[in-house]
Amino acid sequence: MNSEDTAATGRTSDAGVQAPILEAEHLKKAYNGRPALRDLSFSLAPGRILGFLGPNGAGKTTAIRILTTILEPDAGRFTIAGIDSRCPEQIRARIGVLPESQGYPKEMTGVGYLTYFARHYGWSAKDAQRLSWALLEVVGLQHRARSLIGSYSRGMRQRLGIARALVNDPAVVFLDEPTLGLDPRGQQELLALIRRLAREHGAAVILCSHLLSEIESVCDDVVILSQGQVVAKGSVLDVIGRARGSGVRVQVPLSAMADAEQVLEALPFVVRVVPKGQGSGWLLVEVLGGSAESNIAHNAVLEALILAKIPILTFEAEGSRLQEVFLQLTEETIR
Amino acid sequence: MSETAFVHREGVTRGGSWRLVLERELVDLWLGGKALVLLTLFSILLGITAYLMATNNELRLLPIKEIAYLMLKLVVAFGLFMSLIIGADSISGERERGTLEGLLLTPTSRRQIMLGKFFAALSAWPPAFLVASPLIAVLCRDSQVVSWSLLWGGILGTVLVLGVTGLAMLVSFWSGSNRTSIAVSLIIYLVFLLPTQFPGQAQTGAFGDLLQKWNPLEASNVFLAKVIVNNRTVGEMSSWLVAPILFAILMLSVLFLYASPGLGLEPGRARGRASWGRIAGLLAVAWVVATMLVGAYPTAAASSDSPVQVVVDREWVTARTGDRVEFTTLVKNTSSAATPPLIVAMNIINLQGEVVDPEDWSPQRTQSMDPLVPGASVEHTWIIDAILKGDYLVYMVVIPQPAGQESTSSPVASSGIHLTVTPFTRINPRGVLPLAVGIPLSLTATTFLLRWRRRRAITVGEREG
Repeated sequence: MNSEDTAATGRTSDAGVQAPILEAEHLKKAYNGRPALRDLSFSLAPGRILGFLGPNGAGKTTAIRILTTILEPDAGRFTIAGIDSRCPEQIRARIGVLPESQGYPKEMTGVGYLTYFARHYGWSAKDAQRLSWALLEVVGLQHRARSLIGSYSRGMRQRLGIARALVNDPAVVFLDEPTLGLDPRGQQELLALIRRLAREHGAAVILCSHLLSEIESVCDDVVILSQGQVVAKGSVLDVIGRARGSGVRVQVPLSAMADAEQVLEALPFVVRVVPKGQGSGWLLVEVLGGSAESNIAHNAVLEALILAKIPILTFEAEGSRLQEVFLQLTEETIR
Repeated sequence: MSETAFVHREGVTRGGSWRLVLERELVDLWLGGKALVLLTLFSILLGITAYLMATNNELRLLPIKEIAYLMLKLVVAFGLFMSLIIGADSISGERERGTLEGLLLTPTSRRQIMLGKFFAALSAWPPAFLVASPLIAVLCRDSQVVSWSLLWGGILGTVLVLGVTGLAMLVSFWSGSNRTSIAVSLIIYLVFLLPTQFPGQAQTGAFGDLLQKWNPLEASNVFLAKVIVNNRTVGEMSSWLVAPILFAILMLSVLFLYASPGLGLEPGRARGRASWGRIAGLLAVAWVVATMLVGAYPTAAASSDSPVQVVVDREWVTARTGDRVEFTTLVKNTSSAATPPLIVAMNIINLQGEVVDPEDWSPQRTQSMDPLVPGASVEHTWIIDAILKGDYLVYMVVIPQPAGQESTSSPVASSGIHLTVTPFTRINPRGVLPLAVGIPLSLTATTFLLRWRRRRAITVGEREG
C-alpha cells in the first residue's frame, strides 16, 4: 500500500504518523455478477475519523459489511489492529459497529440490552451491568436505562446503538448514519462524542453519513465512492482542494448588484461576472489563471469591492465545500 | 466520558457463548413472546381431551394403552408444531426484525449462535411432555403402561423434535422472508404427514411399507402404536426407528456442519410471493390442526343388523348414560306343532337415524333355543348398557332354523322397547378433573405472574432511574 492510499497521512494531526489500525487492499465484491465494490484500498490511523461518502448504491454498505466481517469479499484483504480478515471472530472482538438498519428487541430494557452484548465480549454478568450503566451515562440514557426499548424514541435507540458499539472499547468504530433521527442538539452532542472517542481514546472511526456538512465538520479524512469505486480519498482539505475551481462567489445586497458587477468586470483578470439565483444577490466571478494566480485574483476581487464600499454579505471560493466536490466527482463517474 | 466505560476485553473464551444466546432467546420466547400462552392453550386442549377419554374409559370403550398412545400422539404433534414454528422464525425472523446483524457483529461464532437458537427452539418440547405426563399417568393408572409409554414417547418425541427443529432452522436459514420460511416449513411437515392420508391400499404392501418406514413421522407413529398398544417388542420394531434417527442426524449435520458457518444477513435463496406464502401458511396450519384433532380422537364404528319377533316385558325405559337396563323376553309356541330350533336376537336402532353398533350396547345379543312344543314358552334375560344419549328402540327377533339348504323361514319380531338415554356425566371420572383443570390454570397463573413481575421490575427501575 503506497503513501497515497493512507488517508490519514494527508493531513497533520495530533495522532502524528502512526501505523495504520485499518488497512484495506483491493477489496472487491459482486452480487450475481453485478459489481458492488470494484477496488477499495485505503488505510486509517488510530485516532483519525474517516468519512465514508457516496450516493445510494455506491457500495458504502457493502464496504462496511466487508470490513465488519458480515460479508466476505470476493477478492482483496484487510487487517484491523494487525488481525487478518481471515480471522473474523478476532476482528469482531476489536471493532464496534452501529449498522444503518439496526433492529432492537422491544421487550428488553436499555441496560439489559447492553449487558447482553457486553457478555458476548466475555464480561461477567455483574461487570457487564456496571459497564452498561457507564455507557448509558456516556450517551445520556441513564435515566431510561430500565425502560423497555420499545418505549424509546428513534434518537434514543440511535444513542443506545452507539453505546452498544462501544461495549468492547473498540479499536475501530463503524458508524453508519449515526445522527439519523437525532435533533440538532443531539447531533452536536453525538459528533462531540465521536471526536472525544477518537482524540482521547485513540479509536479510529469510520463515519458514513449523507450529511456532508457533518462529515466536513468532524472528519479528518474522506473516501468518496461512486458505483463501487473510489473517486477520491485523502484528508478532507486535500480532497476539497483538488476539486477546487478558479472562480469565486460573492453575495451582495440586491441594491448593490449592478455596481458590484460594474466594478468586478473592470478588473483585468476577471473573465466574466454572472448573476446567480434570481434576486438572491449572488454573483459568480470567473477569474483567469491556475491555483496560485486565482488565489491572488480572489484577494483582488475582495479588495475592489471593499474599495468601492459595496457591502459583502458572503464571499467563498468556488468548490470550497465538500458538497460541491462530492456532487462534481460522483456526477462525473455516473456520466 | 467515563473511564470505566472503556476497558478493552480481549481473548475471551467463546465456548459457552451459545448459553447467552439461549438465555436471551428463552426470555424472548417464554416471557416476552407467545410460547407460554401457546403452551397454556395446549394444556387446555389436552385437559379437554383427557377428560373425554376418561369418560370413554369409564365406559370401557378405549383400552388404556390406546389412551396412552393417543395422548402421546397429541403431545408429540404439539411439540413438533411448536419447534417447527420457533425454528422457522429463528433466523429469517431476526433478519426481518433487524436484530440478527447486532448478534453477527459480536465475536460469538456463527455455530454458537445457531446452537443457542437451536436449543431455544427445542424448549417447547420438554414442558409440553411434562404437562401431558401426569394426565397420561392418571388416565392409564397401570404403572407399567404409563412408564413404558412415557419412556418411548419421550425418546421418539425428542428424536423427532430434534430433526424437525433442524429442518425448520435450515429453511429459515435459506429463506428470504419469515413468512416464506414458516410456510415452507409447514408444507414440508405436511408432506411427511401425507402418506397417512393415502387410501388404505396405498399404505399396505411393499411400497406402502417402504413409504411408512422411511417417513420419520409415520415410522415413529407405527413404532409407538405397535410397542405401546399391540405389545410388540422393541427388537421386533427396531427397523422402524431407523428413519427418525437418520432424519435427526441428517438435519443436525447439515445445520451445524454446513449451514452454520455461513449464517449471515443474506438468505441462501428463495423469495416467495407474500400472498401465496400467506395462503400456503394458513392452509398448512389448518391441515396440521385438523390432523392433530382427527388423529387424537377415536373414531366410531358402524354396523347394521336385522329384526326378529317376541314378547317383551317392558314398553319403555328411561336411563342415563352408564346405566345398565335389564328386561326379559318370553318366546312362546302358540301353534299346534313343535317349532324347529330357534334363535332369539336383540337389536337396537336409533330413532333419529344415527348408526348404532349393538355390540357396544350388550354383552350378549343372541341366544339359541331348543325346539318348543306347542304351548311351551321360554324366558330369557337381556342386558343393555346405555352408552350414548339418544332415543332408541330395542326389539327382539325370533328366527326359526330353516329346514334345509333349499328352504327359508320367517323371522318374527316383538314389539319394541322405547329406550330414552339421557346424558350422565361424572364430574371427576378417574380423578382426571383436577389435573385437566389445574394444569391450564397453573400455567395461566404463571404466565400472568411472570409478566406482572417483569412489568413491575421495569416500572420500579424506571422510577428509581
